Amino acid sequence: MQEPDHHDLSDDSDYAASQQQGLGKSTFRSDSGKFGAGGDGGVWEVVYFRENVAIHPTQYSSERISGRLRLIKQGDALFMTWIPYKAGQSGVDPARYGENSSLSEKDQNLYTIRDLPLEDVHSIRRHTPALGWQYIIVVLLSGLAYPPLYFYNSGVREFLSTIKQHAFIARSSDDANVFLVNNFQDPLQKTLSSLELHGVASIANATSHISFGSVSSNQDINRGSSSNSEYSGKPRKRIQDPARDISIQVLEKFSLVTKFARETTTQLFRESQNNGFNNYGKIQKNEDAPSKSSVAPDHKIEANIHNVPVPTDPLKNELSLIWGKPRKLPMGLEEWNIFLDPEGRIMDPVALKKRIFYGGVQNGLRKEVWKFLLGYFSYNSTYAEREYLSSVKKKNYETIKFQWQSISPDQAKMFTKFRERKGLIEKDVVRTDRSMSFYDGDENKNVELLRDVLLTYSFYNFDLGYCQGMSDFLSPILFVIEDESESFWCFAALMQRLGSNFNRDQSGMHAQLFALSKLVEILDCPLHNYLKQADCLNYFFCFRWILIQFKREFEYDQIMLLWEVLWTHYFSEHFHLYICVAILKKYRQKIIGEQMDFDTLLKFINELSCGIDLDETIRDAEALCNCAGENGEACIPPGTPPSLPIETPMMYQQDDEDDFGKSGCI
Amino acid sequence: MATAGNSNINAKLVLLGDMGAGKSSLVLRFVKGQFLEFQESTIGAAFFSQTLALSDATVKLEIWDTAGQERYHSLAPMYYRGASAAIIAYDITNTESFERAKKWVDELQKQGNPNMVTALAGNKADLEENRKVAAEEAKAYAEVNGLFFMETSAKTAVNVNDIFYEIARRLPRAQPAQNPGGMILTNTPSEIAQSSNCCS
Repeated sequence: MQEPDHHDLSDDSDYAASQQQGLGKSTFRSDSGKFGAGGDGGVWEVVYFRENVAIHPTQYSSERISGRLRLIKQGDALFMTWIPYKAGQSGVDPARYGENSSLSEKDQNLYTIRDLPLEDVHSIRRHTPALGWQYIIVVLLSGLAYPPLYFYNSGVREFLSTIKQHAFIARSSDDANVFLVNNFQDPLQKTLSSLELHGVASIANATSHISFGSVSSNQDINRGSSSNSEYSGKPRKRIQDPARDISIQVLEKFSLVTKFARETTTQLFRESQNNGFNNYGKIQKNEDAPSKSSVAPDHKIEANIHNVPVPTDPLKNELSLIWGKPRKLPMGLEEWNIFLDPEGRIMDPVALKKRIFYGGVQNGLRKEVWKFLLGYFSYNSTYAEREYLSSVKKKNYETIKFQWQSISPDQAKMFTKFRERKGLIEKDVVRTDRSMSFYDGDENKNVELLRDVLLTYSFYNFDLGYCQGMSDFLSPILFVIEDESESFWCFAALMQRLGSNFNRDQSGMHAQLFALSKLVEILDCPLHNYLKQADCLNYFFCFRWILIQFKREFEYDQIMLLWEVLWTHYFSEHFHLYICVAILKKYRQKIIGEQMDFDTLLKFINELSCGIDLDETIRDAEALCNCAGENGEACIPPGTPPSLPIETPMMYQQDDEDDFGKSGCI
Repeated sequence: MATAGNSNINAKLVLLGDMGAGKSSLVLRFVKGQFLEFQESTIGAAFFSQTLALSDATVKLEIWDTAGQERYHSLAPMYYRGASAAIIAYDITNTESFERAKKWVDELQKQGNPNMVTALAGNKADLEENRKVAAEEAKAYAEVNGLFFMETSAKTAVNVNDIFYEIARRLPRAQPAQNPGGMILTNTPSEIAQSSNCCS
């Protein structure tokens, strides 16, 4: 079949229209043979093309954008292109080939993949579900990925084998469905134990005749969508995709998707939960399976699973393959100045946050940058405005401080609450980070400053008062900011977000622990199931992590870095929860393998202190956060710290240190 | 965890008391032989275990060290629930901490395991010159309430091992008659209490 204008890639939709006639034939090609005017370097050659490759921009399978997927070779370089059909051009059978008309042209253009160099691709994950269409997820080196591309006319195998002919592609040794493309620069790659270079060839040579008829009732339910009749029950034509031999695994199906298409993942996550659950030892329901041949492989796999004591981590392979971006060096003064306009405004706060997210801030610069990150200074303030604000705030601080300074010893005798509060603070400041030179020694001025700021804060926010853990928050702030009043206002800004960590009823903590449990449920279902069975779903073993944002888990310089990363809220306001998931996932094998109960788990978690690799954890958390996408954010109830509290007249319960016994038991 | 055979006892012990009374210091002195002048506050809870060899039994203490501030009081039941022993600590230089200790005693009597072995520890006994709570007063209170009492110093190690060993000695021993096979393992300490009522 000749394609007259395949060189002209810029006007692909028109081209698609002109090729409608050829659709029927091309879609049923079973090979990926070259066609067109092949040539040497400099000349385009379409080496693969497939019609009716679609994405599902939403969870509803009816909303799909169909298009043509092509691999184009120019010289030694291979490019991937996926161009959606224009409305009304979507093929011979509108009922079958999607309803692009319901989606705006703008939407369609959004998803277009134009001449993506294979060099930019990190890996391709192949999904060949027992029920439904095969799809692939193309993951870029940047860690982002395109939405799943569904092959409505099959052809995944040809797609991969075509790539193999023209570029280096290797099957991941960890996951037979992941194909690594061209990428040996990432240091992580080197740690992958071995690459099965013959993987693709073995697929191409293998033969298999597995029917698509297998219907799992679980999967039906979990596909969820009301408009997915095309997925269920309908007998499928036999597809000769030998890869199915290896790929019928009980695996999650999830996708790392770019922000604009995160909804797509909803359905995938449903499957993920389902399969993760199965993975943990439940037998997949196959009562409805109509054909024996399709059932057999499933049972074989289940049998294997029962022999494995620790369920495999559904995301393990993806995580190690799709790590967060490499960490950068901390931002220095020169770079910082680039972000400022001549009057001192920060021109692009998002870019700044991104920069800080990926590398933090040099020590000497923190003093300045933290005030923005904490919300004490606004990003669009000028030098002059900030100077003015500081002077006003300084007076303000002195006024509040004087409230307690003016309490005479006689008055204090009649002011139990003040004495108690002062007592609490004094007990804690003398044991906060005393091993640091900044706070060590007798009659250390900085310890006194800690006390003064905390006592002043307990008057400023009298309802919240002082709570154990606050000195942990203030210590690095005072160390960085140095100035008493500025430290106070930075601390107060932080408490605006995290104050409810200290609510008497533990509501802020409960919200976060709950969200954490939900995140683990979607990101590591086997671990979730284990914790459920071990009666650990309250996640109290992570209490310290969350209450003081890992302050006790990392060395001082590391905690400053982690905090500034968290405070950017760059990927999520609740990135700290993804940090929790990342650490838990790292130790899941041990936790499940050793069958830790709550006591052991808490001890284990506490003892991880100062033994966690921060950069690696942040990268893992970034990948997890991207994985979870909107599904992750949906796990987090509104108002969960550190989100700014939902406006209520009474933010905190009245604080009484002497109302022992009033509060209920849990 | 319950007993196994007639010489191994696992027992959950919870440390309660006002913040700064020295709960963590007591347990760290006991488990690790360490003392830090400025022991950092406990956030959430910490867990330790230590095995003691007594003449008639080997006792594995699973020790829960809790956050002292009243604000975190609502978490405490999670830790004392099912405990077969408790040490309630106060600071002899601080009368409020003694008052707080009494409240813990009340709470355990109402909420805790009725057969709990409870010790009252007057900690920081090395700070005699700052004493605010008389030993006699605490001793009398302990007797009335069925606790055993010791003044301790995590700093100098005085009475620290003693108080833990004394708890271990007082823990109920398994009654072989009730476990003929000696192999009935239960997971809830309250069941230990029900199945073994003798106190040594």
